[in-house]
Amino acid sequence: MNTKQEIMEKTPILKMENVSKAFPGVQALTDVNFSVEQGEIHGLVGKNGAGKSTLMAILMGILEPNEGAITVGDERFVAMSPKEAIAAGIAYVPQHVAMMDSLTVAENILAGELPRNKMGLVDWKRVNQEAKERLEKLGLGLDVNKKVEGLGVAEQTMLAIAKALFGNAKLIILDEPTASLSRADINRLFSFIRSLKDKGGSFIYISHHLEEVFEICDRVTIIRDGRVVGTERVKDIDVPKLIVMMVGEDVEDYTRKSTCMEEVILNLSGLERRGYYEDINLELRKGEILGLTGLQGCGAEQLGKGLFGLEPRGIGTITIHGEEFKAVKPIESFNQGLAYLPQDRYRFGLVGLRSVRENVTYPVLDKLVRLINLVNRKEEKKIVDQYITELDIKTPSTEQPVRLLSGGNQQKVVFAKMATTKPDVLVLHEPTQGVDVRAKMDIFRIIDDMAKQGVAVIIISTEIRELMGVCDRIVVMNDGRLTKEFRKGSEEMTPEKILAAIEGGKNNE
Amino acid sequence: MKEKTSKLLGILFDNLIWLLVAAGLVIFSSLSKSFRAPNNLISLLYRTSALGLLVLGQSFTMITGNFDLSSESGLGLTAMVAALLMATVENGGLGLELSPFLAIPVMFGVGALIGLVNGFLITRLRMNNLIVTIAMQMILRGLVYIISPGATASFFPKAFNWLGGGSLYKIPLERGFVNIPVATVFVILIFVIAHIITRYTQFGRNMYATGSNVVAAKDAGIDTDKIIRWVYLIDGLCMALAGLLAAGRIDSATPRTGSGMTFPVQAASVIGGISMAGGRGNMIGALGGLMLWSILDNGLSIMKVSPFWIETSRGLILLFAVFLDAIKVRRMHNRSLIESLLHTTIGLKDKTVVKD
Repeated sequence: MNTKQEIMEKTPILKMENVSKAFPGVQALTDVNFSVEQGEIHGLVGKNGAGKSTLMAILMGILEPNEGAITVGDERFVAMSPKEAIAAGIAYVPQHVAMMDSLTVAENILAGELPRNKMGLVDWKRVNQEAKERLEKLGLGLDVNKKVEGLGVAEQTMLAIAKALFGNAKLIILDEPTASLSRADINRLFSFIRSLKDKGGSFIYISHHLEEVFEICDRVTIIRDGRVVGTERVKDIDVPKLIVMMVGEDVEDYTRKSTCMEEVILNLSGLERRGYYEDINLELRKGEILGLTGLQGCGAEQLGKGLFGLEPRGIGTITIHGEEFKAVKPIESFNQGLAYLPQDRYRFGLVGLRSVRENVTYPVLDKLVRLINLVNRKEEKKIVDQYITELDIKTPSTEQPVRLLSGGNQQKVVFAKMATTKPDVLVLHEPTQGVDVRAKMDIFRIIDDMAKQGVAVIIISTEIRELMGVCDRIVVMNDGRLTKEFRKGSEEMTPEKILAAIEGGKNNE
Repeated sequence: MKEKTSKLLGILFDNLIWLLVAAGLVIFSSLSKSFRAPNNLISLLYRTSALGLLVLGQSFTMITGNFDLSSESGLGLTAMVAALLMATVENGGLGLELSPFLAIPVMFGVGALIGLVNGFLITRLRMNNLIVTIAMQMILRGLVYIISPGATASFFPKAFNWLGGGSLYKIPLERGFVNIPVATVFVILIFVIAHIITRYTQFGRNMYATGSNVVAAKDAGIDTDKIIRWVYLIDGLCMALAGLLAAGRIDSATPRTGSGMTFPVQAASVIGGISMAGGRGNMIGALGGLMLWSILDNGLSIMKVSPFWIETSRGLILLFAVFLDAIKVRRMHNRSLIESLLHTTIGLKDKTVVKD
C-alpha cells in the first residue's frame, strides 16, 4: 500500500470522458465526464432512470459506449469486456451480494484457490488461517468458520468488498449498500469503508440516501436525464441544493381539489412490527389522499406490505369502516376492501405473458365464475372494456399480452385490476416509477377519480413534489415512526420543510 | 447459555440421521431375534450395496445442484451388457463367454458413456437436468429390453460375482460362522473415499461451490460446467459399479434389473441430508441415509410386516426427511433475522419473531 502522502497527490484512478450511449429511441447518456481519484469515495446520485446504471454498466464492460474514452490507472480502454474490466481492477458490489451461502466465510474467500497439502488434499487448517490473516489485514474480524448465510447483511457486504480487494480491485463500485441495513449496521459498514479509504482504496458510492452520501463521500456527481449536472465536494453543498440538482426545476405539477370527506374509513392504532415500525396511529377519511414518505428503510414500505398481507404485520389494530381488519393474505385484503399496488409491477403486479383481460380480472375471477367453474366470458369482457375506456388504456385489444404495453399503460392495467375489487382503501407504492411524464399525469387523474368516488388512498413515495401536488396530507416516517404531518394549504408544506423532516430523524442519533 | 443450547441443537440437527440409525438398530434388535443376529446385521448393507452406489452418484450430482433420475436404467443397462457378454447361449447370453476381466471394463465404458451424454446435454446444450435424466431413464431402459433376449441372463464366472456376492472373511463362531460380504466393506470404503473427495479435494469443494451459488462460483474462477460434466461422468461410473454389484449378488441380470430404484435413491440421499437445492450435505450423512433405508427394509420384512406397509413407511420417512430439511432452513433464517434485529434500535414486540 502507498503511504498517505503519495495518495494525497490527486491521481485519478478512473477517468470517463465524453461518454455517450444511445438505445433505440432513447439517449441514455450524453457527454458524461466522470472521474474518481485514488483514496476517494465518490458519490453518484440521480433519480431512477437518470443514467447511473447505464454509466456503471459501461464501466463494468457490460454495455459498449457509442462515444467516449475510459482510462483506468494509466491504461486506456475503448471497448471493455466484463473480463477486462475486472482485470483492470474494477469490482462491483451489488445490493444483494452473490455468495456461496452454504459454505463458510473462509471457503468463500479462497474458493478456486484452496491451499493444499503435499497429498493434494485441501488443508483446512491453512484455509482458515489464511482467510483469517487476509481479513485481519483489512481489519475485519469475521469468524471464518461461520457459514455465510449466518452472517448479517452488513457483514456479507463487507465480505464482498474484502473479496474484491483480495482480487486486486483498485476501484470498487458500491450499489446501494445500505438499502436493507439498520443504522448500527450502517455505522459498522461505513467505518470499514473509511478504514479502507485511509489505506488508499477508491470507491464509487451509488445511493438514494442523500444524507449518507454526505456522511461518507468526499465528492458527489449528480446525473439527471443522462447528463452530468455537476460534480461537487460534499463540503461545498447541502441536501436541498443537491435535491434541486437531481430533480431540476422543470417539474410539472398535478393539482387537484380536495375530495376529503368527514367519514373515517381506515383507522390504524398502535401498529408495531419489531425492526420495521412502531407506534403507528393514523386515521384516513373517505376520499382522502395521504402521502407517506421517508428515506428508504424508514419502514413505510413494510407498513404498506404489512397492511396488504404480503409481510407479517406485527401487533396493533386496524379497522376499516369500524370493523376490525384481520386479513392476513392478499385475497382476504381484497375481500375486506383493501387493495395494494406494488412498486415492482413486473415482478408482483402483473403476469406479463398473459393478456390484459386476464390480468385485470384475476382478483375477481371467483365472482365471475358460474356453474362448474367456468368463467363468464361475456361479463368478464364487459368489465375489462369498461376499465380500458375509463382509464384510457392504450392497447390494441383485450387479448394483448401485458408485456407488450408501454410502462404507463402497464401501470394502468394494475390500477384496473385493483379497481375491479371495488376497494375502500388503496395503498400505492411508488405508483409513478418508470413511467413517462404524460402517463404520470394520467395516473394522477386516475387516483384523483378514485378519490372522488370515495376511495381513501395512501401513496408511499419518495417523490415529494408529486406528493405535494396530489395529496391532502403528507406524513413523514422516520426510523419506523410517524414523525411529522403536513396538511395541504398550510404554510409548513414546502419541499424544504418536508425534506428536513425526512432527513431529521437520522441526524439526531 | 441460550447461545450454547442453540449451538447444541444445531449439532444435534446436523447429525440427526445417526440418531435415527441408532434408534432403528436398537428398536428392531430388541423386537426381533433374527434381526439382531450378527449375520443379518453385517449384511444389511450387502443387500442394498447397489442402491448405495446409486445414492453416491446421485449425491454427487445433487451437491452441484443437479439431479440424476437415469441411474436405475444405467444400472440395468450395464448389468445386461455384461451378462450378455459373459453368459453361455443356453443361459441367455450371446455365446461370447467373455472373461469378466474384459466384460467389466466394457461395463465401465457404457457407464462412462451414459455420464458423458448426460453431462453434454446438460452443460453444452443447456437442457434441463431433470428432464434430460428422465428421458435417459426411459431411453436406457428401452435399450435394455432391445438388447436382451427378453429373458434372464444368468450364471456368470466366479470372479465377476466376487464384488457383489462374494465373501471376504468368515469368522467362526460356536455354531456356524459370521460371513463378512465383500459388498458391505466395499460400500463403506467407497463412501469414505467419496467423503474424502468431497471434503478434502479442490474438485470436491468446487462441487459445493457450484451447487451453493453458480454465479459466485463462476466469479471465483471455477469452471462450473466442467465440474458438472465430471460429476455426471463419476455418476455414470457409479451406475456401472452398481450394475456389477447387483448382477454379481444374484448371479443374473434381467431386463428389469434396477427398475423402481429411482425414488429410493432420491429418498436415501435426502434422508441423509443431501439438500435438493444443492451445496449442502455430506457423504457420511448420505451413507447414514442408506443405512437407515436398509434397516427399515430389512427390519420390517423380518418382522413380517406387509409389503404395503413397508412401502407406506418408506413414504413417511421421506416426508419426515423433507420436513426436517424445511425446519432446518426456517430455523436458519430465523436465527439470522434475530441476529440482525439485535442490532436495530426500534420496536420490541413483534410476535412473529418473539415466539422462537
